[in-house]
Parts: sequence; structure tokens; C-alpha cells
Amino acid sequence: MIRIFAFILTLLISTLPVSSQTKASPWRYEGPRVGMDLSRYLLPYMSSAKRNGWEIQADFPYKGNFFPTVETGMQWFDDTHSTFRYKNNGAYARVGIDMNISKFESLKDHDFVFVGFRYGYSIFSQQSENITNSNYWESINTNLPSHLMNAHWGELVFGMKGELLPNFFFGWSLRAKFPIAVTKDVNIHPYIIPGIGKTGGGTPFDFSVGVYYRFPIFRSKTIPKVLKMGGAKHPGLNDGMDQEGQGYGGQRSGGSGSGSSGGGGNRGGGGSRSGR
Amino acid sequence: MRFYLIVISLLLFSLGSCNDGNRCYESVDTFMISSFSIDGFKNIKTLIIKGINKNDVGDTLVNDDQTTLTKRYPLPLSLSADSTGFVLTANGKTDTLFVRHKMVIKLISEFCGFAPNYTLSGSSYTLGIDSVRITDSKVNPQSIAKTTNDQNIRIYFNAAH
Repeated sequence: MIRIFAFILTLLISTLPVSSQTKASPWRYEGPRVGMDLSRYLLPYMSSAKRNGWEIQADFPYKGNFFPTVETGMQWFDDTHSTFRYKNNGAYARVGIDMNISKFESLKDHDFVFVGFRYGYSIFSQQSENITNSNYWESINTNLPSHLMNAHWGELVFGMKGELLPNFFFGWSLRAKFPIAVTKDVNIHPYIIPGIGKTGGGTPFDFSVGVYYRFPIFRSKTIPKVLKMGGAKHPGLNDGMDQEGQGYGGQRSGGSGSGSSGGGGNRGGGGSRSGR
Repeated sequence: MRFYLIVISLLLFSLGSCNDGNRCYESVDTFMISSFSIDGFKNIKTLIIKGINKNDVGDTLVNDDQTTLTKRYPLPLSLSADSTGFVLTANGKTDTLFVRHKMVIKLISEFCGFAPNYTLSGSSYTLGIDSVRITDSKVNPQSIAKTTNDQNIRIYFNAAH
């Protein structure tokens, strides 16, 4: 049922007019973006266990293409099997940065593709009840009391965010998670960790689908430039590449860019745009 | 851009909805792998093993009448006590063996559940047993996969057997 609802909601959003791009305002608005991860609300429907949670995400534009990010949330997990019941509740936070790898087409274009990384920390408790086991000798039924634990991990993130309505964004991200350290428990190695998700076998992957609101606090008349990936310059190739770079810088600066190097050309381009 | 934004998020929702099923591919039973031989390299013609105070029908753990130099069997340990006793009848002579241990119950996996893990700490036995050697004190669900010449405990009967 929830999947049908999510599908209809997504379709409705996608059909709304994108008025932010049709208005002829000369300003580009930027500001902190705050939102929530909708996928956390779908988790109860994605597994047989009771899994609830919420997650708030916020980012802040820095130099146009960088978005320092903070994410925090909570998770409640209650998994009942025939031979045991496992509970795991806790809070987590992640800090990191996203980097835009796409090109903003205009002042009003805020859609972007990004890669990023996160450092995550989680503090949680786990316990197990009604553990039953039997063999030739006897049957036992035991409980393991609550144990406070924590975990550290890193994440690599790839995703997209797009402005569907003025200042309202929709986005998704795929995440590969790399546990760094988890508190040792002699009885239970947690098979789920708030903020990481399921840990059983291999690199945990996760996804996030969120809606965000941007507070349009800052405005400018410059379009952030496409980030150029650094690399070694090779004498045999530099001439042609430099020419391309100058040509590109010239186009973006309205034909006025005439810097003798790639970096100079870019700075010239930025100057001419701000004068538009 | 928006096309990919919407389509990929729908794909992620549908992929996330896939149920990973309930599967357990690991061993969940814990046995102490025990080997038996008679000091002086005599054959064991018959070996019967029961748990101590277990005399009901079906309580016999081992009833082996194949003549061999060494016998090797997985034996279950007590889940609640800190020692387990066995009554061993080799070539018609009966002895008693107690194995001391500590048990910790550990989660194997989400789908396999918990299994006992033991650490063997010592043994005591009657006179018909010459010696007992703990070769691997860790007894866990993986112990059953020990190779033919490996075991947790070796029991040597007296040559009088």
C-alpha cells in the first residue's frame, strides 16, 4: 500500500510546474537545505521485523559546488524469530561533504549530481529475549540484558538532488558503508546498527530518498563553475587541452575570457558572469 | 536530470522492497568432537556412550560394534551445568568421564539464531581411562567441521580394556 502511495506522490510531484526556472529573476538563491529521509518511513514495510526510524538531513552550500552535510536520526528495531527476539534501539549522526560533479546550466538551475563521503557514529543498545536452545541434555530459555554499544563507520555516497518546486528539493543517494569499529559483545555481534543498517556479510549498502527545503538566505549572480578534476599535466597533451580549456572558459565568460592559463581563464569567466 | 531523479528513486524504492528471505546456511548444533583409543594400540571392538543419568530408551549416544583402532564421535555438552558426564563402555568395560566447561550463548546470524559456545577447562574420569587430552578447548558450531585427524578431546582407555 505504501509503495503505491509513494509512487503516486512521486508522479504528482514530477508533474508540478517548475516555476523557479520560469521566473525571470536575475538572482541565484542559495542557503542551508534541511530535509528528511522518506525511506526511513518505508523500512517497516521492507522487512519482516519491526523497524522504525526517522532521519533529518541538512547541508550548506560552500563555494558553489561543495555541500557540507549533517545527518542525524534514530532507529527502533524489534525482530522476533521462533527461537529468539532481538531488540536494537539507538541514535546516530553523520557528518561529511557532498561535491557536485554536474554542470549548473543557468542561475536558476540547482539540480545536481554529487559524490561525497560521511563519517558516522551511532550509540545504541541491544538485548535479546526468549532465546531457546535444546540438545540431548536439556532445553534452555534465557535472556541477554541490554548492552550499550557504539559504532563508527565511513560512507561513500553518490546521488542526485533536484529542485522540483521553488526551494523544495527531491533527491536520492546510494551509500556504501564501511564499519570501522563496533563495541564488542561476547554474545551478540549486532546484525543491524542504527545508521548503518544490516551488517551481515560484505559491504552494507543503503539508499536514501529525501525531500528538502532550502532557506534562500544568500543570493548571487554567479553560476558555480564545473569542478575540474586535477591531474598531472603531460607535455604531449597539454597544448591541446589548454586550448580546449581556454575555449570553454571563453564561452562561459561570454567570449571575453582571454587568460593565458586555464585557471586564469576561469577566473576571468567568473568575473564576467557576475557583471551580467 | 529530473527524469533520472524520479526514475532512479522509484527503482530504489522497489529494490529496497525486495525481501531477503529467511535463510540459514550455517551449522547451529554444537558438539565436542571426541576421539577414543586404547593405550597400546589395541582395537576398540565395541563402544557404547550414554549421558550420565540418562537411561531411557533412545538415550544412547553411540552404539558402535565396528572394530577399529580409533573411534571419533561428536558429543553434546550440557547447556545449563558447568560439567557434562558420560558413561563409556568400551570392549564391555564401563567407565565414567566428566568434562568441565564454560558456556556462552552466541548469536550465529539473524536467520540461524543462537548456539552455545564452550571452553573446555578440564576433565575427571574413572580408573579404566588412562588419560584425557584436551587438544582444542574451543567447542562451537564449527567444531563439527573438524578434519578426520582433528578433535577437541582425546580419550585413551587403559590397555586392560
